[in-house]
Amino acid sequence: MWEHRCKVAVSGVGFSRVTRSAEVPLAAHALEAVKGAVADSGLAMSDIDGLATYPELPATGHAVVDGVTIVSVNCMMAMLKLPNLSWHVQVETVNIGGAVQQAVNALLAGVCRYAVVWRAMHNPKGTYQNLPGTYAHGASQFTAPYGFGGPGQGMAVAYTRWLERHGQRREKMATLAVTQRRHSHKNPHAYFCGQPLTREDYLNSRMVAYPFCLYDCDIPVQGAVAIVLTAADRGRDLRPRPAYIAGYGQRLAFEVAGRIGSLSSYMEGGKSSSRLTWERSGFAPKDVDVAQIYDGFSASVIYGLESYGFCKEGEALDFIQDGRIELDGELPLNTFGGSLSTGRIHGLWHIIEGALQASGRAGERQVKDVHVSFVGASAPIVQGTTFIFVDEPY
Amino acid sequence: MTRPIPVPNEWTRPFWDAARRGVLQLQRCQACKHFQHPPYATCVRCMATDLAFEPVSGKGAIYAYTIMYHSGDKRFAAAIPYASIIVELDDAPGALLAANLLEAPYTEAKVGRRVEVVFQPLNDEFTLPQFRLARDGR
Repeated sequence: MWEHRCKVAVSGVGFSRVTRSAEVPLAAHALEAVKGAVADSGLAMSDIDGLATYPELPATGHAVVDGVTIVSVNCMMAMLKLPNLSWHVQVETVNIGGAVQQAVNALLAGVCRYAVVWRAMHNPKGTYQNLPGTYAHGASQFTAPYGFGGPGQGMAVAYTRWLERHGQRREKMATLAVTQRRHSHKNPHAYFCGQPLTREDYLNSRMVAYPFCLYDCDIPVQGAVAIVLTAADRGRDLRPRPAYIAGYGQRLAFEVAGRIGSLSSYMEGGKSSSRLTWERSGFAPKDVDVAQIYDGFSASVIYGLESYGFCKEGEALDFIQDGRIELDGELPLNTFGGSLSTGRIHGLWHIIEGALQASGRAGERQVKDVHVSFVGASAPIVQGTTFIFVDEPY
Repeated sequence: MTRPIPVPNEWTRPFWDAARRGVLQLQRCQACKHFQHPPYATCVRCMATDLAFEPVSGKGAIYAYTIMYHSGDKRFAAAIPYASIIVELDDAPGALLAANLLEAPYTEAKVGRRVEVVFQPLNDEFTLPQFRLARDGR
């Protein structure tokens, strides 16, 4: 087990308004979320001395404008003018989970005391994947000429392989979309809070990139979420109950850019990341009381459940049936609604929900008796990170 | 449809030059004989840097596919629905090629179905390796 398990905790969370399109600059959303997380912790802004984010705009073909379409560390520094700032980082390889892990490391190293991590996401006007180009450069020269225009198709090809190799049916995924939507009705911050989704809605919805229909895709939104991380002994003195980080991991393999469709690479990404998290925390999938698994596209949950070890390969669509992922089920899953129902703000919201469930602060959607709370914070291969939060150090 | 035109680089030019001549060539490690695609600076199996392009038979199977219904990529909007497939060649296990399924309705795309290479000229300079269902079914 990891000697540093439970030495860092999440001590506060914050949310901005989530809107379909940009009504105010993204920096305003990020500031709202960060202020919320600091206030939730019972801290003053001047206490914050660490900053971390992953600022990428996943939409292609749109200008990157700091403060408008991304919110970088520099942008946040300019807004906050923190008098005691002593550490910051902006990560690139493993999405927002990597920023959280770097903040954990900084706290363990003692180079800051209260680190804020935020994820701000812009929804550009017009087509999300804006691909007007005449030419296909770099890795895309082997994919774009064949009509592979966005990440959805890259995910979809692996999903058809999964479905047909395992003799499975895409219709079973309706359970995931419908259950997560029901969970989101207990999350006032969720974009789709209060808007019902039925099995029939799922089965009758328009196809986007087979096997993905509309409700297999998360909805692009404008918004931000944030957390405050601190050392566990400080966290205990703060207002809310802390959620202790028992272990984390990151994916340790990467495919040559442009090699798409490989199902095994999704599985290897998830296995390598979760192995670290299980070993460091000393827990196994059977010990987990509640799980948040990244769902930018629904199939990511399937790869996650299998590669993290919650069920065998080929079984995930059966695993999610029969009430197992309900709030009172055997493995309550994406209890905040997931990206499918809260909106596309990447994995920090999954991390937040994992922490809230561990600290008993998830309100109406709180799962009973949570001790071990698992998070898979990004698609397993692409940018996979995993975490375990617990209610008490051990 | 207006397919984007590939822009070769120093790793990939031999692939496109061969395709224009109607030959499917993939990058092969001269040390461990591993075929890889897309081309890369090093052999991703053994780290050797002695790489060369060698012809392959062009017979393989559909490894995975998707049917595109969304018209977000304006260049392909007129073609929807269309099948974008991933092919694994018999000669080059693990080397996954993106393509379209030609000469068949998109509903014919299925994982494991046998396919063979055909060449589709894009312009005077570029020809795309593409695939159709194998004529002899093997």
